[in-house]
Amino acid sequence: MAMRQTPLTCSGHTRPVVDLAFSGITPYGYFLISACKDGKPMLRQGDTGDWIGTFLGHKGAVWGATLNKEATKAATAAADFTAKVWDAVTGDEVLTLAHKHIVKSVNFTEDSNCLLTGGNDKVLRIYDLGKPEAEPQEIAGHTSAIKKALWCNNDQHILSAAEDKTIRLWDKNTKEAVKTLSFDASVSSMEYIPDGEILVITYGRTIAFYSAHSLDLIKAVDAPASIHSASLHPEKDFFVAGGDDFKLYKYDYSTKDEMESYKGHFGPIHCVRFSPDGELYASGSEDGTLRLWQTAVGKTYGLWKCVLPEELSSENSEALYCPPAEIKA
Amino acid sequence: MRSSMKTPVSVLRLPRGPDPNSRGFDPNSPRFVALCPTTVPSSSSSSSGSADEEEQRLRAELRERFLRTLLLMTGKRVRFDMHEHVRVHARFGASDIDVLTLQVSDLETPLGVQREALLRCQDVIACSFEAREGARSVATV
Repeated sequence: MAMRQTPLTCSGHTRPVVDLAFSGITPYGYFLISACKDGKPMLRQGDTGDWIGTFLGHKGAVWGATLNKEATKAATAAADFTAKVWDAVTGDEVLTLAHKHIVKSVNFTEDSNCLLTGGNDKVLRIYDLGKPEAEPQEIAGHTSAIKKALWCNNDQHILSAAEDKTIRLWDKNTKEAVKTLSFDASVSSMEYIPDGEILVITYGRTIAFYSAHSLDLIKAVDAPASIHSASLHPEKDFFVAGGDDFKLYKYDYSTKDEMESYKGHFGPIHCVRFSPDGELYASGSEDGTLRLWQTAVGKTYGLWKCVLPEELSSENSEALYCPPAEIKA
Repeated sequence: MRSSMKTPVSVLRLPRGPDPNSRGFDPNSPRFVALCPTTVPSSSSSSSGSADEEEQRLRAELRERFLRTLLLMTGKRVRFDMHEHVRVHARFGASDIDVLTLQVSDLETPLGVQREALLRCQDVIACSFEAREGARSVATV
């Protein structure tokens, strides 16, 4: 029997949620960090959306946030011209890295020893977290503000997307641009899938998949509305995308067919990511909320409970919360 | 099949939201205890520990005094000394939770009396008011 998706709404932010990231799977589950224009990034338990803590310290909108694989460190990029590194267990601020302009993107290497930053001053910076006082290595080349910068190919390369409508692949040792992709529109988001080395890029209404090594196009799909972010499922059977029309779209990766679309947000969707186990995906919106969506609708997982029709009308259903047909903010 | 005909998936509860009184990162959570054993407070034996406690106690006391001053100010006519040598009088209503904005009534400005207004705390240097007849209190924001 087909069931209707019940998204779980995570409230707490007071302004638009512009970025989100999951950690890897740790002995304590996996975690989710959200970047918000209210300047207060939050850490949540990844499978339930339960709030764990808020990282306090930034004095401006936080544009980018990330966790390391073990969820022991967090990094944030903000409009106060700093990137900060945090202890993700205690919530304490560990490091403040001053920049010359708004910082938009932060990314840890696999071993969490280096942090990559990028922002409006158009320069990529690599910080050695073991030597925080040392000057960062700098990579220049973009002619407009950098929106997103990621490590890829075993942390040997850096991928950056900027307002100059290019994506560049850099060799981290030579600091040279190995390859450049040009687009007609500004790239709205980028996701790197290490297993399979696939790059997911969105621009205009398009969701495109590229090889992270060669930057060759694998496939592209056009959505009904302008897309701000997309994410590929770890098993590569689906991908999800969201953007201007407030809806989340789910597509079959092999056939490129649109499978489902979900309403729920009250504003454009800025970011969407699959969890590391692929069981759910999280979306962040202009409406200030994060929502968690099931990949397999109706499955028992996290806070979702598979309930058979007979159980719903029995006395045992009292512990369950059955959402009304219309969920209002 | 129309989506309104399908049964919505049930949930055990909604995700827990932030605690308004704290920044979280519960020191009693299994993860915290396992990964940060040295930060679990032991019985105050170290001298640096008691210096921290003393500072914390003083800070808490100052904070409490500040909050009580705000309460005492409610409904009273207050003089606000602000940047650029601005000095205005108004009736103090309330502060927001982060003490970023002050809500006032009958704000006397060079352009006239503003029935209702919001003052930005960043702009305020000090507030001064009569706590009781003849006794003036000054709070620096």
